Amino acid sequence: MRPLFSETSVAAVRLIVAVTFSVATIFIDSRFDALTMVRQAIKTALWPVEQIAYFPGRVSSEIAIWVQSHDLISERLETIALENERLRTEQLKLQTLRAENAELRRLLGVKERVNERLLQAQIERLSNDPFVHRVTINRGLLAGVTEGRPVISADGLVGQVVVSYPHAADVLLMTDATHHLPVQVTRTRERAIAVGVGRMDRIELRNLPDTVDIVPGDLLETSGLGDRFQPGIPVAEVKEVIRAPGQPFARVIAAPLTPMARLSLVMVDLAEGDS
Amino acid sequence: MIFLATWLVTLLLIALPYPAWMMLVLPHFGFLFVTWWGLMRNYQLSMTLLLISSLPIDVLYGTSLGLHGLLFALIAYALTLLGPSVRQVNWVRQSLAVFVVLLIASAVSYWARTLTGQSPEFLILVLQAVVSALVWSPLRWLYDSLADSVQGLGTQRQ
Repeated sequence: MRPLFSETSVAAVRLIVAVTFSVATIFIDSRFDALTMVRQAIKTALWPVEQIAYFPGRVSSEIAIWVQSHDLISERLETIALENERLRTEQLKLQTLRAENAELRRLLGVKERVNERLLQAQIERLSNDPFVHRVTINRGLLAGVTEGRPVISADGLVGQVVVSYPHAADVLLMTDATHHLPVQVTRTRERAIAVGVGRMDRIELRNLPDTVDIVPGDLLETSGLGDRFQPGIPVAEVKEVIRAPGQPFARVIAAPLTPMARLSLVMVDLAEGDS
Repeated sequence: MIFLATWLVTLLLIALPYPAWMMLVLPHFGFLFVTWWGLMRNYQLSMTLLLISSLPIDVLYGTSLGLHGLLFALIAYALTLLGPSVRQVNWVRQSLAVFVVLLIASAVSYWARTLTGQSPEFLILVLQAVVSALVWSPLRWLYDSLADSVQGLGTQRQ
């Protein structure tokens, strides 16, 4: 006679319990963001493992610098490169601010926004999952990097901090399929929501009226809606406008200005939000 | 101890910073870790331990917590059932069996990711399963050697 509780049925029961637990965890984490503390605790505990993993890369880059035998020069070059990145970012934002300022001058009585504080950070690793566009930067809570901070590069917007740990932070790139960003067209001030599609070289604007005035070559910038990103940060360049016959909505495909796959230095905007 | 050693090696393999172009051709080290335990040491494998060990892997990959727990449980269960017959065959057939199991796990992963708002491409998941199956034999050798070393150390202490 077959036993009521065979080994296979015990394993099946364990599987059912494990699957139920996992599905519940996925649901809670993805819908309610209630497990951020757990994520932070695990990531903090993983810090030594990550440091060991980064060690070969750091050693090789150190050796490369040492082989050049120009320690001081290389150090100085690094500082200049960082400074240059910062200045290029500031220049980009300044151009947009000038345009905005001219418009505001016409309207009169609108307070100008000048407050900003940028923190340089280095990208330590990219998520190995091809569908998750997240990077880990080497600045965290101890440097003042908190959840929701915008992250930019010399070319434009990169993404935003989603989880911050003591020594590091996870940045969700704007190309991630779960990222939504309020943008506007620099030329026409037409507003839209840019969504990531899971490709490093593409974001999309969806559900726009068929008559929308957007053409390939237009630049997209943050609109400032949602109070997360300052207005005017360059985001992407429009590559294609798809108007399907008989469809009420147009779809716009744009390429991020920041080369996400080749990114190594970024800046975290630590400015307190005011407008 | 063997579980801890193999798990730490897996975490290291996942945490290594790989260039962006390698993302599509990287094996899933987490799946291969569970494959080894499901095939070679399933009599020592605890589902609770597996679920707990999957959480740091979720954090390293940046996926929703619980996703790898779900997939690990399915892979471990499937391989526990298949274990005795798959262990006996040569490495090519073993890799094929691993591929089939990982393909099923990929299908579940696709479903779970879609529900959490990601837009995965199934072909990329299939490619990951293919690469993982190809890497299975060398990684099995690595885990076997590691387990032997840890076991040897334990015996020496006694």
